[in-house]
Amino acid sequence: MTDWIPAFDPHRVFVEPWTVNVSLKLWIVVMGFLVLTTCGWVGQYLILRRMALMGDAISHSILPGLAGSFLIGAWWAGNGSASGEGGARGSVPMFLGALVAAVITTVLIEWIHRRSRVKQDAAMGTVFSALFALGVVLITVFADHVDLDADCVLHGEIGFVPFEDYFKVGGREWMPVPVARMLVVSLLTAAWIGMFYKELLVSSFDPGLATSLGISAQRVHFLLMAWLAVVIVSAFESVGAILVVAALIVPGATATLLSSNLPRIFLWITLHAAVSALAGLHLAVWLDCSIAGAMVVAGCALFVLAWAASSWSQWRARRLMATGAPPEPEERTLTAPPTPSSPGRSAA
Amino acid sequence: MDANTVTAPPLEIHDLSVAYDRRPVLWGIDVEVPAGKLVGIIGPNGAGKSTLIKACMGVVAPSGGWVKVFGEPLDHAHRRVGYVPQRESVDWDFPVSVMDVVLMGRYGRLGLLRRPGAKDREIARASLDKVGMLPYANRQIANLSGGQQQRVFLARALAQESDLYFMDEPFAGVDAATEAAIVTLLHEMRDRGKTILVVHHDLPTARNYFDTLLLLNMRLVAFGPTDDVFTYDLLQRTYGGRLTILSEVADAVRQRG
Amino acid sequence: MPARAAKIGEITDIAILEQAIRFFSFQDPTLRFAVAGAAMMGIACGVLGTFLVVRRLALVGDTLSHAVLPGVAAGFLWGQTKNPVAIFVGAVVAGLAGTMVATAIRRTTRLKEDTALGLVLAGFYAVGICLVTMIQRLPTGNKSGIDKFLFGQAAAISAGDLKLMSAVTVLVLVVVVVFYKELLVTSFDPAFARATGFPVRLIQDGLMLLLAFAVVGALQAVGVVLVSAMLITPAAAAYLLTDRLRRMLLIASTIGCGTGIVGCFLSFLGNSLPTGPIMVLVASVVFAGAFLFAPRHGLVVRWVKARARHRRVGRENTLKALYHVLESRAFARDGVTLKELALRRRETLDDADRQAKALVRHGLAVVEDDGQLLRLTSEGKKRAAELVRNHRLWELYLTHAARYAADHVHDDAEKIEHVLGEDVVWELERRLNYADTDPHGKRIPTLAEGQARTGRAVEGVPPPEGGVP
Repeated sequence: MTDWIPAFDPHRVFVEPWTVNVSLKLWIVVMGFLVLTTCGWVGQYLILRRMALMGDAISHSILPGLAGSFLIGAWWAGNGSASGEGGARGSVPMFLGALVAAVITTVLIEWIHRRSRVKQDAAMGTVFSALFALGVVLITVFADHVDLDADCVLHGEIGFVPFEDYFKVGGREWMPVPVARMLVVSLLTAAWIGMFYKELLVSSFDPGLATSLGISAQRVHFLLMAWLAVVIVSAFESVGAILVVAALIVPGATATLLSSNLPRIFLWITLHAAVSALAGLHLAVWLDCSIAGAMVVAGCALFVLAWAASSWSQWRARRLMATGAPPEPEERTLTAPPTPSSPGRSAA
Repeated sequence: MDANTVTAPPLEIHDLSVAYDRRPVLWGIDVEVPAGKLVGIIGPNGAGKSTLIKACMGVVAPSGGWVKVFGEPLDHAHRRVGYVPQRESVDWDFPVSVMDVVLMGRYGRLGLLRRPGAKDREIARASLDKVGMLPYANRQIANLSGGQQQRVFLARALAQESDLYFMDEPFAGVDAATEAAIVTLLHEMRDRGKTILVVHHDLPTARNYFDTLLLLNMRLVAFGPTDDVFTYDLLQRTYGGRLTILSEVADAVRQRG
Repeated sequence: MPARAAKIGEITDIAILEQAIRFFSFQDPTLRFAVAGAAMMGIACGVLGTFLVVRRLALVGDTLSHAVLPGVAAGFLWGQTKNPVAIFVGAVVAGLAGTMVATAIRRTTRLKEDTALGLVLAGFYAVGICLVTMIQRLPTGNKSGIDKFLFGQAAAISAGDLKLMSAVTVLVLVVVVVFYKELLVTSFDPAFARATGFPVRLIQDGLMLLLAFAVVGALQAVGVVLVSAMLITPAAAAYLLTDRLRRMLLIASTIGCGTGIVGCFLSFLGNSLPTGPIMVLVASVVFAGAFLFAPRHGLVVRWVKARARHRRVGRENTLKALYHVLESRAFARDGVTLKELALRRRETLDDADRQAKALVRHGLAVVEDDGQLLRLTSEGKKRAAELVRNHRLWELYLTHAARYAADHVHDDAEKIEHVLGEDVVWELERRLNYADTDPHGKRIPTLAEGQARTGRAVEGVPPPEGGVP
């Protein structure tokens, strides 16, 4: 039983990552941080709008979009100049494919639960599993053309992200290309949230009010879903389809327990992302397991901490209240009641 | 049934408190409802009217105090208690027919492993007939109007053949004909010795519908015969200083004189 | 990471027909196990999925099916092999722990249900992935076949697995048959069930336990990610096909069973098709079929009905226009020219021609004079008079009883005239005291009895017919 948990060697876990092959570890942590924080920001709106599982649905259903973009890319390459194997692993077709799939998912879910008596939860479950299954079939059938691995699709692997190609400006190597791409998405997300802050806030809080203010709740919904697709695609190769759900929800859920002020929640999300990326790397080094998985596990551990903290403060508040407020009600007793009060009319 | 349960009042609430999420909703309610009364539970929004009957039924757990039904703890007296929940509390798209819903009223009496038999079906048919819904027995419940849905719930309660009934806003969102039919039915049930507690939100009609009123605003304000309790003073204490409601109260009291 | 989704038929060069024969002769024991397992899990998942769908717990099923992964991994670690019982126990414990944590989060924090479910889904799954990658690193790990649990591999179903699946299916069926009434009443109206003395929480927990059993059983066939589809999709399709829970259970389990078999077959035919996703796709096609063509709730059916209604309203409006033309000249002549009709309806002659043909097709009018003159049949006259009467009666009712202004009632009456039934018309006539003039001063054609009582005869109104109540 013990051989699968490696012995805890502090030197290996804490010192080696920062002495041997430092730049790889550093970029993994930076990448993890960027993924978690970007997903966390967008995911916060999902939590506010009570549609956290929409993230789950979209992350699954963009798979056929990705596979389709590969296939079209391969077809393009085969027809035109034979530019090389695999066709387009470029980011633009992937983003487009994912966007299309996300929009189709959103439309289908809306359509099914509006046009039939199937409720939203069942509509969601039906649509995303159908699209995901389609994606898996496409990937397996056209395995030669689609540079995606079914396993990777599920949980990705941040350790396999190609950090070798550097993004160069003026002859200087700034950062690996994937990190640069993720950074751009993060900055765009921040800008996007900043730009639509009030629209998102109003329509998340009170769709009716938003409509009366001339903000189309429907349009904001689609905008959010489209942006969600962009963020998920960029996080895909690091964390895969299911762990991305964790990246979307865990930071926001933790932050929601710690604060009820939206700007502060965004700060907590950023902090949570940083800590879980760092802690996750060390956990993965220790256990020699999936780094993305370990980062999420670390994030969940932070959530449990926040949960304990908020429960404790609530318990304390209750204790304080109990001393001043009306007497704490006794346990419910259904046997041996004391003599009842006089029947009929009584006034408090 | 021993002598104690024969003489025991249908409903006895002692020092009942309920808290949702640590926020108190009901405080120290003490009521003893005599048999054969039609009781209206009246109070402003958020006064805990629905909570009171849900706590009596064991649907929400009280944080203190106890409830006895015919002298027994509720767990021993489920058969003698009928319940009409709020209409919006269920999914009307649910794949059941009107008959299926009414038959549910018999489930409490069947016990484990038994299915509703011919006698249960007969009782369910009679109950449906009483509320004028027998022709719709095989309809799916989504195809009913609001008033018809409420009648189905009433038929289910009738099929329970209980002695004590709790009804949560049975007049909410129903047409005038259904409202009148329900009132007639309630009076008839009371005349047959049933005890009925009805959560009601409309002050002016409350006076005509019920013979006993329970005024509630998180605490019990008053409980007694309508004529004694339906006073400006007590209603004002129930509804507090809310101006619009106060004028409604004034109107209601004026109508009375 | 060579975890390609698995498939059953490994032979490439045999023609489809031969594959089909091989499939239906069931000689291959692997195939027999695969088909039997998939069919049985289809039944169990269909039955339980029905309760998930009507209780609106579809996403709880999704969460539970992801949350079993750490349990599956722990089961592997227990014996370092693929021991069905260890995996079963581990997965059930993990799944139930997942639902309990979700409930605890919802109860003790201000996070909403969706967030709680998402947290559990992703958190448990992440723990599972860490464990899986740790197992794969072990010397025995790569041979263990744990990666088959991600997408399922029907071909890997062993005799032991099959026994477990049969046990689960039988248990599910027995429980649902025995506790049908408890499950029904707690699903439909939990508050009422609680008040009637049913242990609502206990029943819900029992359902979750069964669900965990079924999910773990189906993992083998479809994998962690797609199990929820086997639960939800057949049940959602059945939800569209019937209005009764009993029938819904039957249909959902039939769809589930059929999907399992057809999925196995297709995957067997095309040798590179993975079994689990194919089954899910088959189920999704069934759902799409139900969504479009269900007899009552299908989109196409409703569209066809709406179109028929639209056309009827169009015909009736033409009839009314003809009546107005006839009325405007005090019913002097019977025939109406297409031009008159077009002028009346403010339309082109082509439109009028089309409407005239629609009337002819339905036996409401005949055309003469090379299609230029339109004459109502007796049936057409009767219907036209009825429509005009409905319209004017309703206008009158609105102005009298509902105190609408006379210029506000026309649009409302335009809609209501097509749907007023005979009974309502009698009642309206009675309440309006058999009045004969509408708010705009036009005469109201009457029903038979109204005519008799007032002694009023209107030209163009057909003679009284039988069937007066």
